[in-house]
Amino acid sequence: MQVTVQCCGVTGQLLGQPALTISLPEPSTVRDLFALLSERSTDLAETLARSACARGDAIVPRSTLLRDGDELALLPPVAGG
Amino acid sequence: MIRDNPPRIQANVLSMDGLIASTARADCGALALFAGTVRDHHEGRSVSRLHYSAYAPVAERLIREIEVEIAQRFQVPVCRAIHRVGALDIGETAIIAVARGAHRAETFGAMQALVEAVKHRVPIWKEEFYTDGSRAFVNGCTLLAADELPAAASRLHCTPTQSQADAPSPQPNTALDPATYQTSPMDA
Repeated sequence: MQVTVQCCGVTGQLLGQPALTISLPEPSTVRDLFALLSERSTDLAETLARSACARGDAIVPRSTLLRDGDELALLPPVAGG
Repeated sequence: MIRDNPPRIQANVLSMDGLIASTARADCGALALFAGTVRDHHEGRSVSRLHYSAYAPVAERLIREIEVEIAQRFQVPVCRAIHRVGALDIGETAIIAVARGAHRAETFGAMQALVEAVKHRVPIWKEEFYTDGSRAFVNGCTLLAADELPAAASRLHCTPTQSQADAPSPQPNTALDPATYQTSPMDA
């Protein structure tokens, strides 16, 4: 299956692009997606360890099963204001 | 035009006058306002501008939920916060907030709790651009649930990532209530 991932905040900088499409085996979870992305660099892995994942307007736990066509967002630590 | 339910994440210049007008109530004797503006320095470094970004689907929902939560906790009828995104120059307003209550004590408390919550719990990111040409995202608070955090991690502002050489000083993820209301530095 394929999911699209919006790379928010510093994750966009660490991945070098604002969004990407990822292919994953079925079944896969958010944890599997983060593990796959974490292989790209140590800095990204450290950031993802403290990052949440959103699907639509909901923050979903690591155990969430992904579906083909999911539109996800990586939410690194926040700093508004 | 005054909007009763404006977007909480906006790319346009924020209007405090509009926020005041749209929240007026006859039963409130106290009005607390907050505006966070872009500062020209951070942790000893000279800042030339900021860029804010947000994940709007969650940010819009969470700010509204925080407004309701704080209004209920402090027993005030009005809490509202609006955060700007995009490129902001020094002195521009990044966040505006209003609280209205019958009396000042609960209104002051609600205002501080509202701003702290928006800063720490909403998916908004701040990238600082320095006068030496470098740039960095400000490290902040994780949105992960406590049971999903790595053992060594914390919800507080903490370890900077590689490009974040100047993470802000640790600050509590303040959960104010009327009984424990106290001041803490706000670095908006």
